[in-house]
Amino acid sequence: MGSNGGGFSFDLCKRNALLERKGMAPPSAWKTGTTIAGVVFKDGVVLGADTRSTSGSTVADKNCEKIHYIAPNIYCCGAGTAADTMNVTAMISSALDLHRYATGRESRIVTAMTMLKSHLFKYQGHVSAALVLGGVDLNGPHLFTIFPHGSTDCLPYATMGSGSLNAMSVFEAGFKEDMSREEAMALVAAAIRSGVYNDLGSGSNVDLCVITKDGVDYLRNHELLMGKTYQREFPVKYPKGTAPVIKERVIPLTALEITEGEAMDTS
Amino acid sequence: MASSRLVAGSAVADAEFSRDISLGTTIIAVQFAGGVVLGADSRTSSGSYVANRTQDKITPLLDHVYLCRSGSASDTQAIAGYVQYYLAQLQAERGGPVRVETAAMMAMQMAYGNKNALQAGLIVAGFDADGGSVYAIPLGGTLLRVPFAIGGSGSAYITGWCDKNWRGDMSRDEALDFVRNALRHAMARDSSSGGCVRTVVIDAAGASREFIPGPKLQPTYDELPAPA
Amino acid sequence: MSIYTYNGAAIIAMAGKDCVAIGSDLRFGVQLQTMTTDYKKVFQIHDKLFVGLGGLATDAQTLHQRLMFRHNMYKLREERDMKPSTFGNLVSSILYEKRFGPYFASPVVAGLEPDGKPFVCGMDSIGALETAEDFIVTGTNSESLFGMCESMWRPGLEADELFEVLSQCLLSGIDRDALAGWGAVVYVITKDKVVARTLKGRMD
Repeated sequence: MGSNGGGFSFDLCKRNALLERKGMAPPSAWKTGTTIAGVVFKDGVVLGADTRSTSGSTVADKNCEKIHYIAPNIYCCGAGTAADTMNVTAMISSALDLHRYATGRESRIVTAMTMLKSHLFKYQGHVSAALVLGGVDLNGPHLFTIFPHGSTDCLPYATMGSGSLNAMSVFEAGFKEDMSREEAMALVAAAIRSGVYNDLGSGSNVDLCVITKDGVDYLRNHELLMGKTYQREFPVKYPKGTAPVIKERVIPLTALEITEGEAMDTS
Repeated sequence: MASSRLVAGSAVADAEFSRDISLGTTIIAVQFAGGVVLGADSRTSSGSYVANRTQDKITPLLDHVYLCRSGSASDTQAIAGYVQYYLAQLQAERGGPVRVETAAMMAMQMAYGNKNALQAGLIVAGFDADGGSVYAIPLGGTLLRVPFAIGGSGSAYITGWCDKNWRGDMSRDEALDFVRNALRHAMARDSSSGGCVRTVVIDAAGASREFIPGPKLQPTYDELPAPA
Repeated sequence: MSIYTYNGAAIIAMAGKDCVAIGSDLRFGVQLQTMTTDYKKVFQIHDKLFVGLGGLATDAQTLHQRLMFRHNMYKLREERDMKPSTFGNLVSSILYEKRFGPYFASPVVAGLEPDGKPFVCGMDSIGALETAEDFIVTGTNSESLFGMCESMWRPGLEADELFEVLSQCLLSGIDRDALAGWGAVVYVITKDKVVARTLKGRMD
């Protein structure tokens, strides 16, 4: 089955390339045409993200989560191909988990950053994850951007994704050093909002994640911008029997039998 | 499962995902009597977008050897990471400082050995028992010992200026001025160089960093001074 | 042409109050030629877990075989059925393993968790997982299915209502899809039974 060794499997590549040569367009993966951002403030970092995921021009998910868990003190916003951002953050998260068991110490942000960049560099940009990584460790708050090709920047304020230009213009206008928690949250929310309203690839709501040395505040749907604007006063209700059923069958439940075994002889 | 891909975001930002982040750069290093001066602008771009305007392109390899990076940001960061690692290991084994030439040789071996997969123009400079020295490692992976080196897209604009104004007998301050002026002129003309000027001076006393913010740079011909 | 539109499919999964439903059309065709009209694209994994596989039929079948194999191995080791949420992650990792040479299939998972909560999730061909509180659709004309579900689904649907809503969404969506149709099959999963119903649809 080839699924025990870990790593990628390339056995369908030849077939898929043949199909492509015959004019069969490959499927488009879900993207997070995204606005993600982060700032460093007086005693921590604030990460922010919109919640739209797209497949071509269709909105695949109206309220997805783009701020991924890395470690108890580290979170990471992801933009790019949805599957890549999810898996790359999950992989590094589990590697850091084992690392913490081995060392008995809190994970550092640079460790996560180095693991992410070496994975992305290895795949030369084909794993298309653009990340904003933030957290607090023994050296204080840190914020990094990581590009799909594996280059990294250490910055006091950072944006990524298709809405990064909108968000960055808000940061460039409003960023101050040593902001309070409330100021930082308001600035990041404004940056994400500018992506939601002005960038077609971004939309729906604002998620925030505030990380300080005292803990994490994951504010899912901190700002609910896009509720339904229309209301059905009398929802259409189909009476029972509307659908033209031509066959009905009840599938019996195959209750799993649990047979108690004899007690093991331990004498 | 839409088969057509219409709008995923703005064209500029979409390019940001597909394109490698580039250090469209001006970098420079000069040897003077008592050491070396390294300098670089601070712009990293992704197409026409400035991905970082305060990038540090002068990376320490050891306490007394620094590296100027130009080309692909990811490639040069990877090279720097490996060279830092191997040099630290070597220094620990030998129990003493490593020569600048050794560090330059190691960077060259990374660049030359993987030349087909890399986009990296490097300048290695530092100070050791033999004084200051500068090594240029251009795109193909050649290793050249030079009295001064310039690199990156902005260097094309200042070749003549550097040839005219370089002197072999510069003092520390003259060398620092030379570096700053060269960068100032390159950043004015090259659209992929800009931001601020970072310099590192390495001499017998060790390495010292200096930083000039963009608005504090002296304007070149036809430029307006930054508003107060 | 996209490889996704080679066979044609329409699949919807919906969550209700302590119940879930999942349904697919019945056509199996090769491009515009219809081959079979009793081809279900929804498969039962265990009592309270179903998976719908849209996309290229050959890959959907291979994927179904691998999923059954993995679930059987799980049952042998653990002596219990897999939770739908666990199964969703399993499908996702099987797909992401082939990140650079994917199966051309996009799965939809629907089931009841051990605590009785409905679970519905979907993913793209490389395993980007999306869990939903309302519905998941996939197919050759997913836009139509999306539109129907967006306006017809409401929170707290009872099993009977859920069946009617899903059926209408599926049948109406299918009517605007040349590559899917010929009736549909809908499974409604509740605490104590699963009901499979075959629906009459247009035959053109």
